[in-house]
Amino acid sequence: MENHEEHHHPPYKFIFLILIICTALSWLADESKQMFPGKGWLAVTVLAIAAMKASCVMLYFMHLKFERHWKYVLLGPTFILAIGLPLALFPDVAVHYYDVDVPQNPAENREAGNYHGEAASEGHSVTSGHR
Amino acid sequence: MSHSGNGHGSSAPPLKMGLAIPNSKLCMWLFLGTEIMFFTAFIGSYIVLRIGSPGWPSDPKDTHILVLAGGINTFVLILSSYLVVLSHEAMIGKDYRKAWKFMAGTMALAFVFLGIKSVEYYGKFDHDIVPGHIAENDEQALTKLARECTHSRDAMAEALYVLPEGQTKVPEVIQKIADLLAELDASPDADRRIQLEAFKAMHDRLSSSFVLVRTNADGTTSLNSDPAAIKSARDAYDAAVKQHEAVAAKGVVAGTEAPAAPAPPDIVGLSIAVRRELLPLHTGIGHELNPLITGLLAEMRDSKSNPQIARYFHAHDPHPMVYGNVFASTYFLMTGFHAIHVVIGMILFGLVLAQGRNLNADWIDFVENSGLYWHFVDLVWIFLFPLLYIVEFS
Repeated sequence: MENHEEHHHPPYKFIFLILIICTALSWLADESKQMFPGKGWLAVTVLAIAAMKASCVMLYFMHLKFERHWKYVLLGPTFILAIGLPLALFPDVAVHYYDVDVPQNPAENREAGNYHGEAASEGHSVTSGHR
Repeated sequence: MSHSGNGHGSSAPPLKMGLAIPNSKLCMWLFLGTEIMFFTAFIGSYIVLRIGSPGWPSDPKDTHILVLAGGINTFVLILSSYLVVLSHEAMIGKDYRKAWKFMAGTMALAFVFLGIKSVEYYGKFDHDIVPGHIAENDEQALTKLARECTHSRDAMAEALYVLPEGQTKVPEVIQKIADLLAELDASPDADRRIQLEAFKAMHDRLSSSFVLVRTNADGTTSLNSDPAAIKSARDAYDAAVKQHEAVAAKGVVAGTEAPAAPAPPDIVGLSIAVRRELLPLHTGIGHELNPLITGLLAEMRDSKSNPQIARYFHAHDPHPMVYGNVFASTYFLMTGFHAIHVVIGMILFGLVLAQGRNLNADWIDFVENSGLYWHFVDLVWIFLFPLLYIVEFS
């Protein structure tokens, strides 16, 4: 087992703590979104945290940091192909050359005091009593 | 698995075709390569769909997404990933008993993850956040509520109906309803009367509420386009508006209030059909049915307060959500496939745990490869958690 003989001992406990702290930060970011209006920062923050967590898992828990160059050969084409589908879909699905009419936006509706707001004060649901 | 020695006693390094890793590990990484493409297709398409769908339901009040549950599950998976790493370390250190215990901890956490996921799924089904079930506009919401209320009434009729002695042919539900109402008129005993009166109250409320909803021959429901029904509703509506305008004009003449956009007439007490016709002029296109549905819900709640009815009444808050069905489809697709991967990981761990005290060095590569697989399952959840539970793109 030469690969075991060459075994490195990453700081697993330290990596684990970083992952837990990052998870807590994601949750805190979600909790504080009321204090900081705007949705862009939240998406950027939590996805950056997710990318950092993913890097920690891949590099240390999956040992990619200590593997040889085969990892690039094996995973490089995979990632290129993986992003192909979203890129192909993007022009048709995510880019609009016209105004999208959204007949009802739940958030706006609540702000207007219609339906959701009223339902909230009345117990919400016929079957369960809450939504 | 072992690559040591070439059998000739030479000092030259052993020759090995391919990569300097066990074949099983290479296979696992190749498999994980396909898995990366598999989940990236889902996650990438989901992101593209969300960006292209302004108004995508992202408020937990609408979607019943439990951020705390997702966060706890993230913690659970990370901890399990850590334990599987420690298990592999213990295997390399030849402490197989310790490795078994860490693996058992990983298995237990996988059960916890699925348990929390089950609670979330139960909430989705309980509120009918299911693909194809979600009303996306007010018309669909009204139709859905009408259908569910009608089914509740029919279920109550089916339960209360007793086939008369000597009769073998079971009648259709419409006939059963008529028979039950006729039975009430025939002065049944006290207990039976309580049941039948509750049934009549429910039936009457539905009949008066859903003038514009009809039941089709195939049992489905749709909005009634009968001109007579619509005209009748419209006439009642016009009368209500005139009454309202007359009241508003009095206020202006008397100088007691500034001329302003009149508030909608009081809709309480009007039938659902009248309300449906009444509201668009005052609230504009889009939200006109919301107060109507809210009012209907309140009426249904009154019905449900009757314990005789509550047993049979199963209707959901129709809660219109644009893109709600796409949301539910993508949610269940991604979390469902992820949960299947969790179960497969548990099977792999189960094979290791089944060795008990016989766990030995032969299982080192298996534990390492199972761990790689489990870390990948963790990786997928690391991205699903913010994307499904937190992020708001629009």
